[in-house]
Amino acid sequence: MVMGMNRIFIPLIVFSFMACKPKKPTPIITAGQADFSTYISVGDGHMAGYMDDGLSLDGQTNSLGAILQQQLMMVGAPPIEMPWMSDQNVGLNLSGLSRLILGYKTDCQGITSLSPVRFSLQGETTSLSTSAYNPSKKFTNFGVPGARMIDLVSTSFGNPNLPQHNPFFARMSMDQFNLPGSGNFSSLQENAFNGGYPTFCSLYLGIEDVLPYAKSGATTNPMSPIAGFPGVGFEESLGQWCEQLYAQNVKAVIATIPNVSLCPFFNTIPYNGLTLDAEKAASLNQIYNPIGISFVVGANPFIVADPNAGMFGVRPAVPGEKILLSVPLDSVKCHQMGSVFPFRNEFVLTLEELSEIQNRIDAFNNIIRQKAATYGFAVVETNAFYQKLSSGFAFNGVTLSSKFVSGGAFSLDGIHLNPRGNAMLANEFIMAINKKFSAKIPLINALAFNAILFP
Amino acid sequence: MPINVKFLLLLFLSWISPVYVFCQGFQVNFQGQKQQGMGCSGSALVQDASVLFYNPGGACFASKRELNVASTPIFANVMYVDSSTQQVFRTENPVGTPFSCYALIKSQKFHRLAYGLSITTPFGSTVQYEEDWIGRFALTRLAMKVFHLQPTMSFKITDNLGLGAGLVWSSGAVSLQKDLPVQFDDGTFGAAEISGKASGFGYNLGIFYNPGGVLTAGLSYRSGIHMAISSGQVEFNVPEALAPNFPNGALASSLPLPSVTTLGINLRPKNNWNVVLDVNWVGWKTYDTLAFDYENNTPSLLDTKSARNYKNIIAFRTGIQYAVQRNDEDPKVWFRLGGGFGFSPVKAGYLTPETPDANRWYGTAGFSYAFSPHFSMDASVYLTRIQRGDTNLETGLSGTFTTIALAPGIGLNYKW
Repeated sequence: MVMGMNRIFIPLIVFSFMACKPKKPTPIITAGQADFSTYISVGDGHMAGYMDDGLSLDGQTNSLGAILQQQLMMVGAPPIEMPWMSDQNVGLNLSGLSRLILGYKTDCQGITSLSPVRFSLQGETTSLSTSAYNPSKKFTNFGVPGARMIDLVSTSFGNPNLPQHNPFFARMSMDQFNLPGSGNFSSLQENAFNGGYPTFCSLYLGIEDVLPYAKSGATTNPMSPIAGFPGVGFEESLGQWCEQLYAQNVKAVIATIPNVSLCPFFNTIPYNGLTLDAEKAASLNQIYNPIGISFVVGANPFIVADPNAGMFGVRPAVPGEKILLSVPLDSVKCHQMGSVFPFRNEFVLTLEELSEIQNRIDAFNNIIRQKAATYGFAVVETNAFYQKLSSGFAFNGVTLSSKFVSGGAFSLDGIHLNPRGNAMLANEFIMAINKKFSAKIPLINALAFNAILFP
Repeated sequence: MPINVKFLLLLFLSWISPVYVFCQGFQVNFQGQKQQGMGCSGSALVQDASVLFYNPGGACFASKRELNVASTPIFANVMYVDSSTQQVFRTENPVGTPFSCYALIKSQKFHRLAYGLSITTPFGSTVQYEEDWIGRFALTRLAMKVFHLQPTMSFKITDNLGLGAGLVWSSGAVSLQKDLPVQFDDGTFGAAEISGKASGFGYNLGIFYNPGGVLTAGLSYRSGIHMAISSGQVEFNVPEALAPNFPNGALASSLPLPSVTTLGINLRPKNNWNVVLDVNWVGWKTYDTLAFDYENNTPSLLDTKSARNYKNIIAFRTGIQYAVQRNDEDPKVWFRLGGGFGFSPVKAGYLTPETPDANRWYGTAGFSYAFSPHFSMDASVYLTRIQRGDTNLETGLSGTFTTIALAPGIGLNYKW
């Protein structure tokens, strides 16, 4: 009798516990009208994984290109092939420096605080003299830090004798180290299409056509012209690329250019960040009252150099103007930069300069949208995403914003996104693909990616 | 009898463990095996000492002195499907064990008077999500235990009408854990735990009406209780560089337990059949904010006020009981069947991983067996499956929670 009871009851209990677990739904995942079987992504540092002011292996594996492709592998995209940096993960920028990490730094006042510091004394410069090109392994990610739209089809981009030359491109280009002295340098486009056209292409270029100008305080590195031949003007460079894709029946997603001035690089130092006590305000008043500028105890606008500002060429900054993160902070703290010594033009974006940059971005974006519409490509409106970050939003219990360090989306260079930011942006690409090509590709769990690491 | 007492004491001690919630909000409705067999209803049917909880007004209608203990292990599993990533995450909840102990004494001198004592766990929850789940920054684990100690008096005003009142002392402990979106240099996330003990007072009132025909009726009111969290603590595990931003220390908070008003009727169409119906109004509106007031504030650690905005709800519970009667002997076996429907107090936009609640249908069954006129046992089983999708306004967490809960209960009664 007891045996019999066990025979009935034990399976019954086991069954009950099994019934207790909700059944996992079967997700519907399809590529829709898109075909990812051969895939490339092309772009600048975002696509390449440039972050923390350097290109490193960690950054590459967490690049917009890699994160996006990883997810597209769910719908048939091939594995990621990139011009990998060394596994020492030191990182490198174009000045030969290593990537930034968050560390402790003692400022001129002797105060030690958290600050971005270089990971090591020197970057992994050997990466630039070693070719990453492998003819039997075609890259799927043609992200090149610093690449502009006009570099896409330009043969000058890989030519070391010209100023447009980009060493990050050189190390991955098929000819740079293989055909020395031939005098022929293949373009980024030729590299991307070498070995056959892809079935799908993601393109994110254009930031670098305006960013160097903005980062210089609108003093050097002029923005790319709208008109001009392929390799010179923005419109025809993109046009040539799009026509090639279209002619080969390649589907694509193209991203517009965000308003770069929303990045923390332009928003971390407030225009009125000059905090004065009574003594300092009085001494500045002595200097500046004669030319009609006065200071109060508390927050004051920084003093900036402006050739158009009266006879002395200085004035207080006005709301909306951007003081760049490139200002030497020790000079501000200890040597009266921004007050007794006005900020030079290279550290300031005036309202006029900001609108000049914005107008160019708007013009570029109209071209991008128009080309995408003509050729049937999906469009990612990146500015909506950057705008959302700028005001901050809650995402799975985390508040993300474009605040420097604490915002959790931008890397320590204040321009490029960190891995989490890249994952969020990759989701914007996926949403655009899903919409345009009736695909059902799940989004990425962006919070599984690193933000800022603290010591 | 001595053996029984020892046995009961042993059971009691082993039951002091966290309680999982899965009834509306964090309310648990498992305070009597016979009621659980009939859809958790029966406030108008006096069958054992659990009437002290369900309707103190009925206690004076009990026929004997009685001890009653019961426990209902709850096997509950929550699955969360994130709407944007389609990733699936589950809970790893420990088995919850709500319990109840009742002692009901009929006065020897005044036959109209009865008094009693109950220890119950009408609220509580342990929700533990799997590691690295997508909502980890909203919640990783919530453990809440609430015990109610209720001395009760019940008095028959007339032969048909009983009144009862109990004082409720409520004591509990709560612990809430979540990950923080700050990372150590190896990429692991920081974490925070809030813990504290809470207590409060309330009362339980009831009227029981037995006109002596086929119908009895009951009305009961269990008051809300304001559970003030005393000696609350917050503990952070964050990178060294951020430690000054997240100081460990004291915190103040409170948790309101809602009032429950119940109207119940019991019909006895035939001698060995009972049909019961309870309607509950639960005053969940009292839970409108979950606030934490930290003693040491920093720019990174401000006091928080999270809107919960619960609404008052109504629940319908019903069941039938059949007593197997041979000849004219007292019945030895009873069978029960029941079920119910309850609205969720959680409004759209406010669903949280703490209480992944939804409107619910549930079914129950049960039986009792009397070993002797003194000693009997009860058993019941409860089953429900609920599902709800939502996008939380505060955290942005957007997905669908599915919960299946199975709760087999067992109880023992001794009458003399």
